[in-house]
Amino acid sequence: MGLVLCATRGGEESIVTQQKAISIAKERVDPLVFLYVADSSFLDKTAAAVVVDVQDELMHMGEFFLVMAVERAAEEGVGARAVIRAGSFVPTFIEVAHELEATTIVLGRPGGETGRFNEEDFSAFCHYLAEETQAEIITP
Amino acid sequence: MAMNLFLLLNTSHLSHLKLLDSGIVDTGSEPVLGIAVIISSVIFILVFVAISFQLLHETAAALLGAVLVFIFTYVGSYFHPDLSLLTFEEAMDFVDWNVIFLIMGMMIIMAILAETHVFRWLAFRLYQMSRGRTWLLLATLITLTGLTSAFLNNVTAILLIVPLSIQVAVAIDLHPFAIVIPEILASNIGGAATLIGDPPSTIVGSHLGLTFGEYSSHMAPISLICMVVLIVIIRVMYHSDIRKAKKTISPILLERLASESAIEDRPKLFKALFITALTFIFFFLADIFNRMPPSVVALTGATVLMIWVRPDMHRMVHEVDWTTLLFFVGVFITVGALEATGAIAWIARQIARLAGESVMLATLLTTWVSGFASGIVDNIPFTVAALPVVDFLTETVPGAIQSRILYWALILGADLGGNATYLGSAPNIVAVGLLSQAGYRVTFGRFARDGVPVTIITLLIASIWLMLRY
Repeated sequence: MGLVLCATRGGEESIVTQQKAISIAKERVDPLVFLYVADSSFLDKTAAAVVVDVQDELMHMGEFFLVMAVERAAEEGVGARAVIRAGSFVPTFIEVAHELEATTIVLGRPGGETGRFNEEDFSAFCHYLAEETQAEIITP
Repeated sequence: MAMNLFLLLNTSHLSHLKLLDSGIVDTGSEPVLGIAVIISSVIFILVFVAISFQLLHETAAALLGAVLVFIFTYVGSYFHPDLSLLTFEEAMDFVDWNVIFLIMGMMIIMAILAETHVFRWLAFRLYQMSRGRTWLLLATLITLTGLTSAFLNNVTAILLIVPLSIQVAVAIDLHPFAIVIPEILASNIGGAATLIGDPPSTIVGSHLGLTFGEYSSHMAPISLICMVVLIVIIRVMYHSDIRKAKKTISPILLERLASESAIEDRPKLFKALFITALTFIFFFLADIFNRMPPSVVALTGATVLMIWVRPDMHRMVHEVDWTTLLFFVGVFITVGALEATGAIAWIARQIARLAGESVMLATLLTTWVSGFASGIVDNIPFTVAALPVVDFLTETVPGAIQSRILYWALILGADLGGNATYLGSAPNIVAVGLLSQAGYRVTFGRFARDGVPVTIITLLIASIWLMLRY
């Protein structure tokens, strides 16, 4: 039995990715895990006074998106669970994939100028992820 | 020698420039652009570029600038005396300790207040009170962000309000940009209202030795006008998004938001609110007590709060963001070298030539140049560098000294100009980062689509207001 791991956030592209992960989990009858990584490294770009526990704020926001994703899966009759972690996105994602022994990873495709990666970087990232985790990488 | 003389006689930044100017320009003609001027200018430009294009962390860039100044002063002058820019002792005179301690004191108060989750609670209550009226929700969240920015600081306001705003937006099927971008714009406008709202306000207010009340009496009215105008603009800009939003949230999500927004430690909240309120009362009463500097009021409030709440001191000290304080020290020293070598006096003369003797032209130049610059580069080093130039213009342009109009123009330009692009000010960068973490990436063009028109309109209003009021 395998495990479908889907890294997600709350944007429109994430919903498409979530739906793809839900349909794969349903088809293969594999457990589904949604992952949110709270990465506060964007604060390194500014010297502004940060007295708020940003990681905590991001974790709250992430939990909210995961509740939405799990609710979406439940509507499709798929039981899913949520995992939330703090740290830099790529190493944390690989760490969780190893930990859960994920066999399938569902990743969102870059959404035009709003995407995290351009198409070339995204392909390279998928190859890297496949090598590191030995999992099948699927994009919507 | 002239530099040493002016530093010995130094009592204020205004006197720096006068003495420096008269010291360097023996005949009243153009200041001599010596090697020290060139080196200090190159160091400043390097720091500015590194900060604005995010080549280095802002604090690292500012400290690099300060260290380069010292290396030239101590090592360079061993080879040639003209390479001396600013000694360590002289540099300390350029650091505005009132700014440093005011920011430090407010950080402690903000950290304790933020732990109570009162702002998250407030934002959720606003959602409940709006009862499905999306426009009302948007207007109240914008107002809350503006007010929090004025009374705490704009980055803290964004960090406290934006995460919950994104969640509410997603839950009601409203694109988060429709709430968060207006909140960013409100944070920069609200930050101009008080001495502690936005770093340029703190820097200029402290430079002029203004009390909290004096500052607010000049800047709060125009900030309020711009806030009202912003709300009207947002209504027009996001009309169709607002109309399409859902009126209700699923019970599971509502429960989730409610549990996240609960206040867990009410006694702590009471203490934090009580001391914060007292601190603000003393900010306004500072005039009575021998014009007590705002830094003293903030430090007193922070100390009383720490004694009363008894937070974990190690954690508290950790929560004071030292990178910010070091950044300010680095910027003050780097700009200090520009002042000490006469580079700023040279720039000030060129600008004074452009402005001539017209206070109106000088005001418009100050407002729009600082507004434009703040839109594309970091407004903190810009404000520190622009201050001595404004000192010079205030001295030379007839009619500018009594009203201090050029200082108000600098504050409004630097604060409102920060709205033009997402690089313009710290709240923008932080909010864009939060949106990205939610899966919504804001491009330069997308932010400018809202930011540029709001900046132009608010700067226009500010210009008219400056002309009428002063």
